[in-house]
Parts: sequence; structure tokens; C-alpha cells
Amino acid sequence: MDKKRLALPYVIWASIFVVVPVLIIVYYSFFDKGIFTLQGYKQVLNPRYLGNIMDSIGIAFISTVICLVLAYPLAMILSSKEMSAKGIILLLVILPMWMNSLLRTYAWGYLLQDTGVVNSLLSSMGLPTMQFLYKKSAIVFGNVYNFFPFMVLPIYNVLCKIDKNVIEASYDLGADKFTTFKRIILPLSMPGVITGIVMVFMPALTTFLVSRLLGGGKTTLLGDLIEQQFNKTGDWAFGSALSVILMIIILITLVFMSKKDSFDKGGGLF
Amino acid sequence: MKETKQQTEPIINLVNISKTFDDGAQILKDINMYIRRNEFLTLLGPSGCGKTTLLRIIGGFEEASSGEVLFEGSNIAKLPPYKRRINTVFQKYALFPHMTVGENIAFGLQIKKVDQKTIDEKVAQMLELVNLKGFQDRRIESLSGGQQQRIAIARAVVNEPEVLLLDEPLGALDLKLRKGMQMELKKIQQKLGITFIYVTHDQEEALTMSDTIAVMNEGRVQQIGTPVDIYNEPKNAFVADFIGESNILQATMIKDYLVSFHGVDFVCVDTGFGENVAVDVVIRPEDIRIVKEEEGMLKGTVESVTFKGVHYEMMVKSNNYTWAVHSTAMAPVGAKVGMVLTPEDIHIMKRG
Repeated sequence: MDKKRLALPYVIWASIFVVVPVLIIVYYSFFDKGIFTLQGYKQVLNPRYLGNIMDSIGIAFISTVICLVLAYPLAMILSSKEMSAKGIILLLVILPMWMNSLLRTYAWGYLLQDTGVVNSLLSSMGLPTMQFLYKKSAIVFGNVYNFFPFMVLPIYNVLCKIDKNVIEASYDLGADKFTTFKRIILPLSMPGVITGIVMVFMPALTTFLVSRLLGGGKTTLLGDLIEQQFNKTGDWAFGSALSVILMIIILITLVFMSKKDSFDKGGGLF
Repeated sequence: MKETKQQTEPIINLVNISKTFDDGAQILKDINMYIRRNEFLTLLGPSGCGKTTLLRIIGGFEEASSGEVLFEGSNIAKLPPYKRRINTVFQKYALFPHMTVGENIAFGLQIKKVDQKTIDEKVAQMLELVNLKGFQDRRIESLSGGQQQRIAIARAVVNEPEVLLLDEPLGALDLKLRKGMQMELKKIQQKLGITFIYVTHDQEEALTMSDTIAVMNEGRVQQIGTPVDIYNEPKNAFVADFIGESNILQATMIKDYLVSFHGVDFVCVDTGFGENVAVDVVIRPEDIRIVKEEEGMLKGTVESVTFKGVHYEMMVKSNNYTWAVHSTAMAPVGAKVGMVLTPEDIHIMKRG
């Protein structure tokens, strides 16, 4: 009973700042100036906007896959006990998180622009300069850069928690290194992988910062689209409908991911 | 049960095994010993004596800094664990938490690509052997410590290894469960005829289960022998002290069959130490007989009495030495008593 009462402030906080706003958005997605309408949702079906949604999902997906492919080997190396520079590398992974992501993304914009540092270096080496910015690949790059630590840390945490004896037991029973990875290490690290996927996919899907600064507004993502409806066109019904759809996509992803995570050993962050 | 005559042939030979860790600690110092086929050998010693490291070298989890591990005559020192015909029961079971009981036991067979029907049969057989019939589909975390231990044994034994390594497998179990499992392990070993190499720091466990005990301390094997030999004829003060309680005294071997300590000459059964040589003498507490003061070879005062169930443990002070005495007869604290020692109970050891 006492413990429940301690949770009360958080319940009030969450109600006022999470539940009520969500309900307001759901309301606005169905009502325009007090009149019930499905106009917002109809607009979503416009091929142009559907394309934006698919772009968002696609870019978020590719960013997540790249993060996973880069992060897993790094997490494995970091979690092996022979690794002596472990602390330094881990620090390097976490260090960017201490800085505001807006600043970091701005910095990349300057580094990668047509007359930026990277291109100056290229031309000074006699190599042709390239256009880096204002492409989907630039957004993917920004996402990977910004969200990489969120993939490394949960996987690293889970790998560290795997009992070394269990891995030795696998070798002992005749499994070589590859089989041990496939049948023991990978399944046991799934909670961390799933946490990492969720932690990268969600912000990558909803970002409008990265697409604005590195994509130069040429690629409109779900986040940009929503922001435009509220700040520029004032079409609150459409903006709210998009928000509701975004929430549904996120919920579906979470349900799907938590189903995959049947072996519940705790993924470090959830 | 397999015939004991098969026990004579060595299956594993350890030749000049030394191990120094990266931090410079020398954990094993020139170990030379062999393990005979089908025997139950125990590596016994206090923690930090190197027994687990030695076991891990045999299993392939640790590489010796120098020396050879001969398995049926060929050196396997460089062979990875998955290529050795040796299986291990780990200290904390190390069962695969994401697999069921059945999947755990089947793991080794699946790696060897045994067909599913044979696997199912063998898993069922193993579960019966460890008294957990019908547990195939249970989850690991739903099992008690004792049950997990049995599954760990089944998972190793199902591969029909030539040698089974057991690293303090009963350490985490309570006393009663441990006693039961000791008998079961011994039964399994005799039934399957597998060579067991068993690591423990529990001398009673070692005496109960082993055919052969290797007592280790500070990276060296102090003595190898049958439990009876080790108990009755400890080679040095460490072995005597570690195996059971002992009274260890400094003495002088006057000549063959005669030893002197505490100013009294005692007849003994040992020879070959030379004349007037400093030696150590071991006398087990249960071998001392308490008599009336005037009938004793040594005289002393009872300092404390503890009731231990089967016997009384008394501390008797004599000549500035406190003797531990186990006896079913009790003398009260403060009583003046005599102590009698028979020649065969006086064990002479070279001074370490």
C-alpha cells in the first residue's frame, strides 16, 4: 500500500504530461473546430504523403540495420575480457552523448557541406569533391551517428552478463566458436539486440532534426510532415492524424519486438 | 560394475605441467601424475592450490605454460576443448538458460549430428539415470539447485566421454543433498565406467568417493594415494593437517622403531629415517586413549570438552602442547588425565 502511494506523483505527472496530450491529439485528429471529420486521415492516403511515410520507415529501418551491423561486433569485442582498451573505447562511444545532438548534427552539416572540411581535404589530396548533404544517405548517416550508442550499450550490457561458464560448456560439448555464437551467444544476447533496435528505430522514425539539417528539407519525413502541419499550414486535423498513425506504427513495432523477446532476461534498458 | 583390473592402464598423463598467469603468479609448479582408466580421482586441496586450474588444463580451457597433457599417449595440450573426448560438469552447472532440460541434454548429440530418434532415446535414458524422468520440457529456471546439478551431469555424460571432469559440482548444495549426490555420483561412475576427475576442497567428500586422491597445495601435488593411505600415512604435515584433524608434533627419530617427543621415548613402526633425525609426528585425535593419570604415557589437564554427537572432543594440555582428543568417554574440564598411544598410531613424517 505504501509503495503504491509513493508512485502517485509519477501517475499524476504522466497523466498531465503524457496521457492528456495524447488524448488531445487523438481528439484533434477526429474533430475540426468541434465537428467530427475523417478529413485528416483521408489526407494521409494521398500518395505523396504515403510516400513520405514509407521514406521515414525505410530510412529508419536502414539506419537501424547499419547500427546493428556496426554495433554487435563492437559490443562483442568490448565484452571480451582480453580487451584492455575497453574503458577508452566505451568512453569514445558514450562521449558524443554528453553533447547536445542538435549541435552535433549542425557540426556535421558544416563538415559535409560542398565547401566543408571533408571536401577541402579531398581536393587537397587531389581527389574529386563530392556532394554529401541533401540526400537520403546523409539522413541515414546522421541517424547512425546520433543513435549508435543506443545500439552498442544494451548489446554490450547483455553480452557482459552472459555467464562465461555457459560459453565454455558449449565448447566442452563439442561446439566450435561459430556454433557457440549461433546457438548460445546470439540467442542469449537477443534481449539487448531488441532493446537496441527499439532504441534506434523509434528516434530515427520520428526525427525531423536530422532530415532538416543534413537532408536540407529535400526529403520530407514523418516528423517533418507533422511539424509542418502544426507550425506552417495550421492543418491540425492532418497533423494529429499523422501523429496518431506514427504512434500506431511505434506500438506495432513494440508489440512485435516484445513477442520476439520471449526469453525475458532483461535487456539492460527495459 | 567394470572390473577393477582395467584401472591399471593410465588414460591421462600429466608431464611437467607448470602454469604462470599473466600477472606473474605461479599457480602450478611442475605437476607430474597420471590418471588411470575408470578410476575416480579427486584433486583435493584448499582454495588457491591450483586444483581448478589443473582441471581446466585437462579440459582445454586453460593452456599450461609448459609441459604435456598426454591423452592415451598423444599430446593434447594444444587441442581446443571441443576436440577433446572429455566433458565437464561446471561448478555452477552452466546450463543453457534459453533451452529446456531436454534441449540442454541433447546439445552435445546435436553437434555430433546424431539422428533425432537416437537423441530422444538417449535424453530419456539420461533423465532416468539422474532420477528426473519426464523433465524434458521443463525450463531450467524452474529447477532446484540439486535438479540443475543432475541435468548438468546428464548433459555431460550423455556424450559418453572417456573422462568426466567435475569442478566442485556439489559445492552449492546443502549438506544433506550433498551426501545423497555423493553416493549417486559414485554409482553413476561405476555404472558407466567413466574416468572421473573430481575437484573439491572437502576432505570428507574426497575420502568418501575417491579411488585415488591427489592432495594439492601451493601448486604442487603433495601426495597421491588411496583414501586409506592418505589418511593413515600422510607424507607431510600439510597432508596430515588437511585430511582430518591431527596432532602434529616435532620429534626426534632416535633409531628405527623408536621416536622421542615431549621427553618420552615411544615405540613406533617406522624405519629408514636414520638415527637422531628431526621429524614430524602425526597422531589422529581418535587414536589417543584417555586413561587415569598414573597409567598414561603422557600426562595432561583437560582444558575444554565439546560434545560432537558420536564422540567428545577434548583439548588436553600437556608439556605446553594442546592435544585434540576424540573419545566416547568424557573427562571433565580441569581433570588430570593420562594419554596412551599405540605404536601403529604414531605416524612419522620427514620434516618439511
